[in-house]
Amino acid sequence: MKLSELRPGEYAIVKDLLGKGAIHQRLLSMGILPGTVIRVVRASPFGDPVEYEIRGFFISLRKQEASYVEVDKIVPLGMVPSGSVVRIVLIDGGVGFIRNMGSMGIGVGETVRVLRGCCPMLVQTSKGKFNIGRGIAYRIFVR
Amino acid sequence: MLVALVGNPNTGKSTVFNALTGMRQHVGNWPGVTVEKKEGTMVVDGKVIRVVDLPGTYSLTAYSIEEVIARNFIIEEKPDVIVHVIDASNLERNLYLLTELLELSPRIVLALNMFDEAKKRYRIDVNKMRDLLGLPVVPMVAIRGEGIDELKYEIIHGKFNPRRVEYPEDIEKRIEILSDKIKQIGLEPARWYAIKTLENDADVLKKLSGMGAKDVLHLAEHLRHDIEDIFGDDIESVMASSRYSFAHGLFHEVAAPINVGGTTITDMIDHVVTHKYLGIPIFIAIMYMSFQFVFLVAAPFQDAIDFFFNGKDVNGVHINGLIDLSYAWMSTFMPDWLASLINHGVLRGLGAVITFLPVIMLLFLILSFLEDSGYLARVAFLMDSIMKKIGLEGRGVIPLMLGFGCNVPAIMATRTLKDETERKLSIALNPFIPCGARIQVFAFLSYIFFPDNAALVLWSLLMLSIVVVFLLGILYSKTLFRGESQPFVLELPPYRIPTLKGVSIHMWEKSEGFLKKAGTIIVGAAIIIWILASLPWGVEYGSEESYIGMLAAVLAPLGVLVGLTPEAIISLFFGFFAKEVVIDVLYVLYGNKGAILASMTPLQAYSFMVFMLFYTPCVATLATVYNETRNIKFLLFVIGEGFLVAFTMAFLVYHIGSLMGVGI
Repeated sequence: MKLSELRPGEYAIVKDLLGKGAIHQRLLSMGILPGTVIRVVRASPFGDPVEYEIRGFFISLRKQEASYVEVDKIVPLGMVPSGSVVRIVLIDGGVGFIRNMGSMGIGVGETVRVLRGCCPMLVQTSKGKFNIGRGIAYRIFVR
Repeated sequence: MLVALVGNPNTGKSTVFNALTGMRQHVGNWPGVTVEKKEGTMVVDGKVIRVVDLPGTYSLTAYSIEEVIARNFIIEEKPDVIVHVIDASNLERNLYLLTELLELSPRIVLALNMFDEAKKRYRIDVNKMRDLLGLPVVPMVAIRGEGIDELKYEIIHGKFNPRRVEYPEDIEKRIEILSDKIKQIGLEPARWYAIKTLENDADVLKKLSGMGAKDVLHLAEHLRHDIEDIFGDDIESVMASSRYSFAHGLFHEVAAPINVGGTTITDMIDHVVTHKYLGIPIFIAIMYMSFQFVFLVAAPFQDAIDFFFNGKDVNGVHINGLIDLSYAWMSTFMPDWLASLINHGVLRGLGAVITFLPVIMLLFLILSFLEDSGYLARVAFLMDSIMKKIGLEGRGVIPLMLGFGCNVPAIMATRTLKDETERKLSIALNPFIPCGARIQVFAFLSYIFFPDNAALVLWSLLMLSIVVVFLLGILYSKTLFRGESQPFVLELPPYRIPTLKGVSIHMWEKSEGFLKKAGTIIVGAAIIIWILASLPWGVEYGSEESYIGMLAAVLAPLGVLVGLTPEAIISLFFGFFAKEVVIDVLYVLYGNKGAILASMTPLQAYSFMVFMLFYTPCVATLATVYNETRNIKFLLFVIGEGFLVAFTMAFLVYHIGSLMGVGI
């Protein structure tokens, strides 16, 4: 789906950039690349442009520009209600963070069961039950 | 020694520049464009060092003027040291630019600005960063002057042994092949040229084909296709991804996030000021209060300056001002014409220039406040979809609104627009917004001719101007000012409290620029008006026998078409000098209020006001238009469009009114 189709509060991961030339290069230099996580923050009063969060900063894109960004919708683990079983698709962090998560059985492709919703949340992984704080729960994405 | 400041927008780059140079700075334009060039000097250990503040950019592609200026400066002027100002609280994206800078020059000092804010988000290991990069890294809080001395030290004594930004091996191999070829034709830095050629960079490709380097281009195309095949994506994405992995990797090596979570202050403010229903009313309220503040504070100063130069009439008795006194004194020892030229020409012009100062300074105070606090970016976000219709981005609303105060600072404020075409469009529209002086004249005339409906008449004129600006905007943006539709990717930086130093330097810079550059033109125009009003020899100043009177007589047949009397035409001539003078001239020519009322029908008076609403703006505005664009053709265009729109609108009003039998 296109980034412009998402609603405020939703998350997505960039799959591809469709534009050419200036807009393409501009999005790239702002750090919108395949694999980047984007949060839709809010729409302006007339619905266009829309504010997004990427890599910890905030930008405004017109609908026209956002339609060049092809994305997949994802959900942060923190938003998953208790009782759900979900599959992890992305862990947003450095090598160290990913390694730490891995030692708890939280890795891309793994399935976890949410025992208690955020926050702190309790999850059941292949390696046991773990408590997860808000800061971490919003850096793990599931589908 | 030459130092260049580089960095993303909103990183406090100008704060660093101000801290380094203090007041020893100079603002101009980069040659051929309207992008601001700031230059200054600093003294370290008795050495005088030139510092140039390059335009804020996110990368160094060939897609925007700012980026081209920045990279050409580095390639051509070869600064001894590049200071890369980084917003440390937004490290990863800022490091992306570093990957591009490293390809241009090894001599880079990293200024980790806003380090205090960054410390709330992550623990940054500065020493590790120095080791990994092989460059001097200075944590600083420029706003409080922290780290400035360390930065100066590193600029002079820093050791540069940078690590290269490595691309994946399949790309590196090809960069090497190409850069060997480029070395042979003598382009430096060869690696940078090789990378840019591979990346399809329009400017570099043009340069190479200009040099006739067909084999290089051919080879590059071949290598580019290889890379695109291997990675299965277009070259720009592949290269950007590689750079971001470097930035990402480095970032995670040196910074460990501290989990704070929750809502930030910025988010709370934005929740209100960009609210679906509250956002625009809040913006209008802020602008309204700003204007109230400007006029409240500026009015007494303006009156005092006017009184100082021109004196004042109190109960029919004229109290002499500087011009009267100095004229009387000079006439005792020099010919009358010379005394009149000096006083009624030069000195009056000077007075006009200085009268503008309070409003200009205060409007710029407001503007710097809006800009430095981060609110301006929110205005752009709020207003974008409305402004887009007239070919401008959201920020375009600011100069138009400032125009209701004074067109001079409004036109200077078009610098907030980054796109050249949009800037020119915005300048071309601005004179149609009636400034405070014109509104004053309208209020006065409305009360004479429409005592019962004065407010309604005034309001109709303001609405008319907004409608005309909107329609012209739509027309212009589709014809004369059709841009390439620049992508509008706007950063919404965290709110920050503006510093007194930053705001006052900005205010001073603008006022000084106006005084020096526009001032000369205004005084010159004052002399021309004086000559036209005083010659031929012996006529009464500004009378029907003077050149101005004769010109008015020539134009009278045209004036009849829109209902203007010859006296009204003369007053409009003087209005070119400063709009508020129109009233004074009418008084001089007609004698009293009753005679003014008797001279025109209400319809003629309305047509007169409509003409004044749109015709050529005052000389200070024109001087500013020239000053900002340095383009005489564009200046003539602004004068021409004014007359054309004024004549057309007044013609329509006058004739439709006559046909309908209104106000005859």
